[in-house]
Amino acid sequence: MSSLDRKTSRNMKWIILFLLPVTVLLISFFLYPIVFLVVLSFMEWNGIEPMSFVGMSNFSSLFSDSIFQTSIKNNLIWAFSAALLQIPLALLIALILAREPRGWKFFRTAFFLPNVISLVALAMMWRAMYNPEFGVVNVLLENIGLGHLARNWLGELDSALPAVIFSYQIYIGYFMVIILAGTISIPKSFYEAAMIDGANVLQQELYITLPVLRGIIVTAGTLAVAFALRQFETTFLMTAGGPANRTPVMGLYMYRRMAGLTYGRAAATGVLLILLGVFVLSGLQRIFGKSDAVGDSVQ
Amino acid sequence: MSTLQLTETHPALKAAAKTAKWAMLIVYFVIAVFPIVWLTVSAFKTNFEIETSPFSLPEVWQFQNFVNALSVSGLPQFFMNSIIVAVAATGINLLVTSLASFAVSREQFPGRKIFFTFTTAGVLIPIIAFMVPYYTLITQLRIYDTLLALVVTYSAINIPISMFLVSSFMATIPGELEDSAEIDGCSFFQRYAKIILPLARPGLVTAGTFSFIYCWNEFIYALLLTSSTSSRTVQLAIRFFTSQFRTDYA
Repeated sequence: MSSLDRKTSRNMKWIILFLLPVTVLLISFFLYPIVFLVVLSFMEWNGIEPMSFVGMSNFSSLFSDSIFQTSIKNNLIWAFSAALLQIPLALLIALILAREPRGWKFFRTAFFLPNVISLVALAMMWRAMYNPEFGVVNVLLENIGLGHLARNWLGELDSALPAVIFSYQIYIGYFMVIILAGTISIPKSFYEAAMIDGANVLQQELYITLPVLRGIIVTAGTLAVAFALRQFETTFLMTAGGPANRTPVMGLYMYRRMAGLTYGRAAATGVLLILLGVFVLSGLQRIFGKSDAVGDSVQ
Repeated sequence: MSTLQLTETHPALKAAAKTAKWAMLIVYFVIAVFPIVWLTVSAFKTNFEIETSPFSLPEVWQFQNFVNALSVSGLPQFFMNSIIVAVAATGINLLVTSLASFAVSREQFPGRKIFFTFTTAGVLIPIIAFMVPYYTLITQLRIYDTLLALVVTYSAINIPISMFLVSSFMATIPGELEDSAEIDGCSFFQRYAKIILPLARPGLVTAGTFSFIYCWNEFIYALLLTSSTSSRTVQLAIRFFTSQFRTDYA
């Protein structure tokens, strides 16, 4: 150990030098923002005059604002639909592709393709598809005889939020790839043994694939929920919170508060957004058990 | 489960399961991929064609939309801005994280684990919550509305994920190589630059890809930290096009 210690102290200057740039950037862009955000959430500030301490009034005014309440509710709807629609769909598709049907590599690439395109481009594309005059969605519904369902999807109070969420969560490629990567690591011999014992495909999936994939599914679910809570672009570009403030999410609410120069309330929204994330994600971990390390999934 | 199929005794069920499986794949294919095909095809049509016959192939495959997008709107400059930002931010990000990853994964020092946890914990934070702090920080640094603002911000935002990818990759490189290099008189910096960095290339490529895609597609902070057209990126530009200029930004 003594030789190791000597080596360490000799290199300590180098080590500090190597760690310095990352440390400076992390302090400026992660640590300082958190501290600043928390402090500012107790202040009133318009960005020009000095800040003044207002205690909890930013938070209490947020909770009495009906648009903020809608934003939190919408964020939770986003998160629920990610967990209940997006992940099961990704799992189903991944399990089908894991059995390597004809052309599975083509399907895998095709299903991942939308994830390479930016959310901005996808949002603009779906806005055109939902367009009441020439949008493909309505034209399609009319052509298959469901013309009575055609509507101004993004303009009507009841259909706007589901339409926005659908346009985002239909893209499962990222989670499909994560789950698919997990299935590939399951030894084929498990299935061979199960088949000799007379287990059908459904039983094989239920008793072999799903238990082995549990950690990965929880990871994918955690990521999907985290993405849903961070939602901004899709809503901002497709409805900007409308119609009649039915679709805002917390990110959009914060953006509006900033644009209105009420930085204190924007900061309070940011604090609540982080807390909501911690709360929901730790709740998920408690219910479903530990996920694999978050980073594992991205490799 | 649509892959449901029973043993040979139930051929009808087996066929039904097979049909369900393919129906599932094809329906999802149509929903998820068709819009992108439609968008790409529409880019070759006139506005009139898009509005009157949205499903048909264009009568004449015409490139006028692309020409308009390139000549009228200043798109080349926005592309250039995006490329500069993404390349510079990814470069800085990889440089600083490879330095820190080398120290964390190849050296022993007190507080090593804490440092690693601190750097990677940022993955869990919704970056969108930092709108106010980033805006004030960039204004205070007097780099508001410059490409530099985006470069610095993006390279910092991607540190946690890059640290995780690069340092876990570096940790898998066997130590014997370094030991023998040290015996041959390699300095600390040479061990980083000549031994570990080349060997860590796959890890760096993965992290770099993530970073580049993030920078290329980032929208919120581009919107918040720039205002003039001279520092506008492609993602912001898309927003200003209405349906008449449809280009595929894959």
